[in-house]
Amino acid sequence: MNLSFVRSAFKITTALTKRSQNVFRLSGVAVNRKDIHTTSKVDDLMEFFDSKKNWAETNIRVGRAWKLDELRIKSNTDLHKLWYILLKERNMLYTMQLECEQKVRLFPNPERIDKVQESMNNIETVVRERNVAYYKLETGETGERPVEDVINLIGLPEKYEKKEYFLPKFINTRWIKPYIEHGYTNSCAILKFRKFYNEKIHREEKKARNRDFNHVQHLFKRFPDLDIEKVKAEYPKVDVEKARQTKKARGHYFPKF
Amino acid sequence: MSTRWYPLYQRGNPQLRVFLPNFWMKLVRPFPSQQPNIIQFQCSMEMTKYDIKNYLEKIYNVPVVDVRTKISLGKFKKDVGKGYVIKDDDQKLAFVTLPKTMKFEFPDLFSTKTDEEQEREKSLEEAKKSYKKYIEQNKNRPDIPSWFSI
Repeated sequence: MNLSFVRSAFKITTALTKRSQNVFRLSGVAVNRKDIHTTSKVDDLMEFFDSKKNWAETNIRVGRAWKLDELRIKSNTDLHKLWYILLKERNMLYTMQLECEQKVRLFPNPERIDKVQESMNNIETVVRERNVAYYKLETGETGERPVEDVINLIGLPEKYEKKEYFLPKFINTRWIKPYIEHGYTNSCAILKFRKFYNEKIHREEKKARNRDFNHVQHLFKRFPDLDIEKVKAEYPKVDVEKARQTKKARGHYFPKF
Repeated sequence: MSTRWYPLYQRGNPQLRVFLPNFWMKLVRPFPSQQPNIIQFQCSMEMTKYDIKNYLEKIYNVPVVDVRTKISLGKFKKDVGKGYVIKDDDQKLAFVTLPKTMKFEFPDLFSTKTDEEQEREKSLEEAKKSYKKYIEQNKNRPDIPSWFSI
């Protein structure tokens, strides 16, 4: 079962549903089964393996992944069905890959896994878009998982994705423990870590400042007719007037004062 | 997204339903060899026994009697050049028991040869044959070049 087959099968199923609906709405005429081609459904453990004709193949060509725009025009049920088709396809590819590895053979066209994964990611994106749109319409909120900026246990800022807890914060003594006065966050080790960490950041900033200042000085040394406004715009943190007057900024020419 | 963000378990209905499960399962050759109705899987680390049972029954329509799982430790090995320790990932293995009446044998996927391989073998054999013939021909006349012949 390869991707192109999956796509065709999926298109057939959607066509099938539409056609049969029309038939039932218009009249009670029985559908002629012969002009509808569907692949027979296999519910078996053999779905974990590729179709038999591909077993010894060294080159299996498949189509591309599903694009976002193609998925956006599908209904929710269609997306749901497609998800399971892709899930089975991915399981099959994983199984074949592992078996190839164990038999020391090359797994033909491993990019198939990436294509399936990309399609699945796209489906998820589309479902998410719809979810957000629905929530915004109904509640005015996105319905996404709330994220909060917090200071974590070692005193660094962190984006915390909220989740449900059995106990509320104010009852949860175990949660509050590290944050009290003599708790973990105010312990000697953490304070020491934060001190060194801040020092490191401060040093980096200082180095950057010195580097820029030196660079501006040398610019003036090499290019005496430099446009000062432009230098100021380029290096806003540097005191350009001061840099211009220094010894390093003097080139091998008479200074213009 | 709501399908990736699991709320806490609470008693009563409706229970949580997974609409787009992201679990994967690999069917692997059973090791050590098992009864014919026991199959072995590698699966996502997050899957529970109930997940595995539901996954197989609902998505693959395979009846499941019993599921046992274990987490096998990844191998430790030393890097050949540098000597630092490398560890393979841990794996969750699932041993699934099918009903007594069912049997599953892991298929031999690479036993059949492709046309290319068959052709290659054929040409190799022909080359062998022609070489043998040449040796036979020149057995009794050493020191004579191969082109000196009728």
